[in-house]
Amino acid sequence: MILRSVIMVVVVVVVGILSSASQALRFELQSGHTKCISEDIKSNSMTVGKYHVVNPNEAYPLPDSLKFAVRVTSPQGNSLHTAEKVETGQFAFTAAEDGDYMACFWAEDHSPQIIMTVDFDWRSGVQAKDWSNVAKKGQVDVVELELKKLYDTVTSIHEEMFYLREREEEMQALNQATTSKMFWLSFLSLFLCLSVAGIQFWHLKTFFEKKKLI
Amino acid sequence: MERKWRKISGLIGLLLLNFMNNVSSLSLTITKVECVYEIVRSEGDIVSGNFVVVDHHIFWSSDHPGIDFSITSPGGDILHNLKGTSGDKFSFKAPRSGLYQFCFHNPLSTPETIALYIHIGHIPNEHNLAKNEHVDPINVKIAELREALEAVTTEQKYLKARDAVHRRTNESTKKRVIGYTVGEYILLTIASVLQVVYIRRLFSKSVGYNRI
Repeated sequence: MILRSVIMVVVVVVVGILSSASQALRFELQSGHTKCISEDIKSNSMTVGKYHVVNPNEAYPLPDSLKFAVRVTSPQGNSLHTAEKVETGQFAFTAAEDGDYMACFWAEDHSPQIIMTVDFDWRSGVQAKDWSNVAKKGQVDVVELELKKLYDTVTSIHEEMFYLREREEEMQALNQATTSKMFWLSFLSLFLCLSVAGIQFWHLKTFFEKKKLI
Repeated sequence: MERKWRKISGLIGLLLLNFMNNVSSLSLTITKVECVYEIVRSEGDIVSGNFVVVDHHIFWSSDHPGIDFSITSPGGDILHNLKGTSGDKFSFKAPRSGLYQFCFHNPLSTPETIALYIHIGHIPNEHNLAKNEHVDPINVKIAELREALEAVTTEQKYLKARDAVHRRTNESTKKRVIGYTVGEYILLTIASVLQVVYIRRLFSKSVGYNRI
């Protein structure tokens, strides 16, 4: 509802990533408008998101008008995190199911139109793991930690390759089905054409014979 | 003592490496102009990425001009400028640190969806550090390895986006083929029924007239 009542442009930012994803980007939010970011998260993976408004004047404190509202929803539509009139915040959850999780930001109307820059960092999967805590245990573990991260990255690459392979198989099956459908449909259309012509001919013949014109 | 310093600086260096890598993957719907900003932390970082126009059906009518894409450095120079594309890869070495702008421009007013992926990779090397610090070669090698893996991930994102576009095209083709064929049958049947009805009417009245 709130999304639908947005003026003019509703920019939907959809993140399409499977397993490990990280996002630290800035986008501009106009007052009265909504921007949504959604991410494809696998079930049972950790997700952490942090957002804050970028202060346009470093020297001065943040003015009150630079506040926005946030809502994070699951693919089912359940609201996982909401915040109103905030300038910074964070959320974390473990994804219960596969699908598109959406985080929407909207800024209220303001009489001179304000454009605020929002910095949003959304990490899930491999990048959501808090590696710095693990690293603090000892210096020797640091290289091992880095190599562990690399291993996790390689595993996620491997899984993504499986996904791409599956998709390619599905695509091939789809094309095969389309081709065979077209094949049978062309025969069907030939048959239909001939039968319609035949019925027309037979019908008109009996009609004219009844009318004693033939 | 020196060894301990080296180990600590190595630890700090590696911890810094944790935050040095930046990936951002998203797809935007652009009506006119949409810009995404990314911060490049140090000069010499390699920024690589790709984007694919997901609503590929706009290109079936050949007079669609395509989407324009440009990358602007913090100094205001345009590093990359592509006009009328349906997707492309890009990679450049950042000439300076700061905020880089990735902008899309849609010449027509219908909203188009674009899947974008940006990766900013940093490899520590000797030149950037102060005299007392020393980069362990193993850190450099690990960073290079990580960058190589990220390059594979970038390619995978591109393939995934293109596969999604391809799939949409194929599914739409299938639906349209079946839809148009069935529609054709129905139209054919209706046309022939109308023909017969018209001929019947033609002959049922004029027989009477001819008999005067």
